[in-house]
Amino acid sequence: MIKTLLSVVVAASVTLTGQANAGGHAEVYAGFPITVKNYSGSKTHSEAYTGQIARHVLHNSAKKLVSRGASLEQTKAYFNGKEPGRVIVDPVSKDGFPVLQTHVDKISKGKNLSGKAYKGLISGMPGGLTGAELLDLLLEKAAATEKGFDPLTGYDYTQLVSKFTMGAVFYNQAVDNYLDEKLGANVNPNNKAYKEGKAYTGKEHVWDEAFGYFGAPAHTMTLTAAEVYGIAKQKADSFDKADYNNDGKVSLVTEMAYAHAYYAASFDKGGKTKYLHTIVQAFLDGRNLISSANGEALTTGQRSELMGYAGIIKSQWQRLIAEAVFKYAGSVYGDIEKLETIIEANGDAVKAYRNYAKHWGELKGFALALEAGGVNLGETGVKLNRLLGYSPVLLGNTQVAALVNGEFVQSSSVSMAEYRVQMIKLQKLMIDDFGVEARSKDVTANLAQLVDSLGEALAAEND
Amino acid sequence: MQWLLEFAQSWFSELTGLVSQGSKRVFLGYLLSAAILAIIWLMWQRKLNFMAAVGWFFRRETWWSRSSRSDYQLMLLNQPLMLLLSPLLLSKLVLATSIFYSLSDWVVRPLWSSDISAFWVSVLFTACLFVVDDASRYYLHRLMHRWPALWAFHRVHHTAESLTPFTVFRTHPVEGVLFGLRSALVQGFLIGIFVFLFYDRVTLLSVLGANVFTAALNFLGSNLRHSPVPISYGKTLERWLISPAQHQIHHSQAREHWNKNFGAFIAVWDRVGNTLEYGSNTQDLTYGLRHQKPQEHQLVTLYWQPFKHCWRCLRRTKIKPNSAMSAISETP
Repeated sequence: MIKTLLSVVVAASVTLTGQANAGGHAEVYAGFPITVKNYSGSKTHSEAYTGQIARHVLHNSAKKLVSRGASLEQTKAYFNGKEPGRVIVDPVSKDGFPVLQTHVDKISKGKNLSGKAYKGLISGMPGGLTGAELLDLLLEKAAATEKGFDPLTGYDYTQLVSKFTMGAVFYNQAVDNYLDEKLGANVNPNNKAYKEGKAYTGKEHVWDEAFGYFGAPAHTMTLTAAEVYGIAKQKADSFDKADYNNDGKVSLVTEMAYAHAYYAASFDKGGKTKYLHTIVQAFLDGRNLISSANGEALTTGQRSELMGYAGIIKSQWQRLIAEAVFKYAGSVYGDIEKLETIIEANGDAVKAYRNYAKHWGELKGFALALEAGGVNLGETGVKLNRLLGYSPVLLGNTQVAALVNGEFVQSSSVSMAEYRVQMIKLQKLMIDDFGVEARSKDVTANLAQLVDSLGEALAAEND
Repeated sequence: MQWLLEFAQSWFSELTGLVSQGSKRVFLGYLLSAAILAIIWLMWQRKLNFMAAVGWFFRRETWWSRSSRSDYQLMLLNQPLMLLLSPLLLSKLVLATSIFYSLSDWVVRPLWSSDISAFWVSVLFTACLFVVDDASRYYLHRLMHRWPALWAFHRVHHTAESLTPFTVFRTHPVEGVLFGLRSALVQGFLIGIFVFLFYDRVTLLSVLGANVFTAALNFLGSNLRHSPVPISYGKTLERWLISPAQHQIHHSQAREHWNKNFGAFIAVWDRVGNTLEYGSNTQDLTYGLRHQKPQEHQLVTLYWQPFKHCWRCLRRTKIKPNSAMSAISETP
């Protein structure tokens, strides 16, 4: 009788979400049935990734605080702290785009970013620091600057901290932990609850956590890339698309877009790539597969299929980070061009220099993120770091060369003109070694445009 | 079946594009301007009234001769052939990109390249493209006459016994491929070099989608080079620009006109190569090849015979320049 009642409740909840999932194939990452044997709690669905969304919100908030020139204590409260009562600084309600949650605890309690940061060595910055140590250092340095920017080194800490956090926490945790060792046969098995009393099995939760870190709205497959982009930007005209359950507010847990999902959308809306939907589809396929095991341990065949979906997610996720490296290398190239022109004309280069630093910070943050994917990049990593260096090349042809006693030390470097050319090589490296296809800010785009303007058609015509 | 339908659509669109796109040689606008110029010239030089000038220019024995009819047939049939061959050819973009990356690897971009404004960069690019493209046309054209194995294909163009603007299509597909490769090489190199030097400030100055210089010369009657109207620019200008009369000399059967005026637009290359011949408003030439047979206008002959000639030349000469002119004795 109890069993019958339970199944009625589950069926009702599934119907309410509008996405039949038991035995079917969900289009929305929601309403997955509870498969834990003998579950006696009150939950009606098994997916859970609020901890990951809390970290997205902490990241967004920390980024905003750094850019506002907040104290180290304030930013660390979001980065390292776990104290209750933290207000969400970003995303917050905007005109035409109200959000549901205003406090981090409303999403998940006791979460921080530093505890999940990559513990491996990061060779793209000086000092031989781990990912976690580097983030600590960057936060300290950021607090000593005005609004997160140090003109002496060219470091835009807001961008460095943000983009590297996305790599060292979200990307690393998802691809190097949840979609890697935690998919092992004897780790977080599917025939046991993740923890005593939980509504989800070990494998269900591991998979959900990886999905959470990607940062996509649960209903991504019902949206276009441009719509997801609009949601992340909190555009008023995207509200209806975001508010999937029509409750008049955007849930920061299930209806918002963050981090790499936002970047995937930004590339995909150009029409050349489908990172967002490919990754989310693989997450859905994997989750449906786990649900279909109905609380039993995954067979070798099922686990192998699951690893296949994980492989798609990992490779696409890595490539989309490489797309970001490609894009910002192009931005830096253009910034140096502008700087050279302004300097040549003895103009005011302050704004151009600031843009250069901002784009370099984004470029470096994403480049460092590639190191945090648990894959040895080998020669590609060496080339990447050598082309990019430890800092932007500054106007006097100097560049950060070392970290001595906690201070960045500069030495002479290649000229800015040569550094600009290195950005071309960097873009080529992303094409050759990662196969990027969206290619935003392609410095060679003009080649294709010119070829088009000349016409490609072959004609048998004489003189 | 779907493939066939798409192919037919592409064919049709290519054909209509020939007269509707400013980047094409026989664009309707260029043909109209050429016809107007020709009629004005006939009224001025030959003292004909308007109707007589129109009648003379559009006379049936030129436009509907056996030779011209085969030009039209080749125009129709070469289009799908070239559509099939296009994907096999060197891509301009691949070449331009590889030139760009090679230069970036090995050469430091000169500082002066930042000093030139976008407008002047585009003027320079458009002019360079026009000049280098024209020079390469001259050189390839010269080779087509000098190398018997190539002449075997180019002679198809010279079997035209009456000239109309559509004689440009009297071209063997093998020659079309060679011209395509030449164009890809020139454009690929120049695009690669210019984008390396000037980044995103390079654009093509164009009119109706065509290089502004080419479009200007097309509007000024370059189509009349293949026409019955022998317009000469006079010796002074013909030292710099190839006139219709000069190109008609290139098609002349007369021995003294053989291997003259290989140039397309610019006459300087012919001066340098000692192949320049001045035209005359009163010249009266016979076109085609000596000892030409009537079947030279049949499609099978036009397409197939060049391969036989080429094979003969290759067997006898192993493609040594100038050594086997006797293999085909009618070289103009």
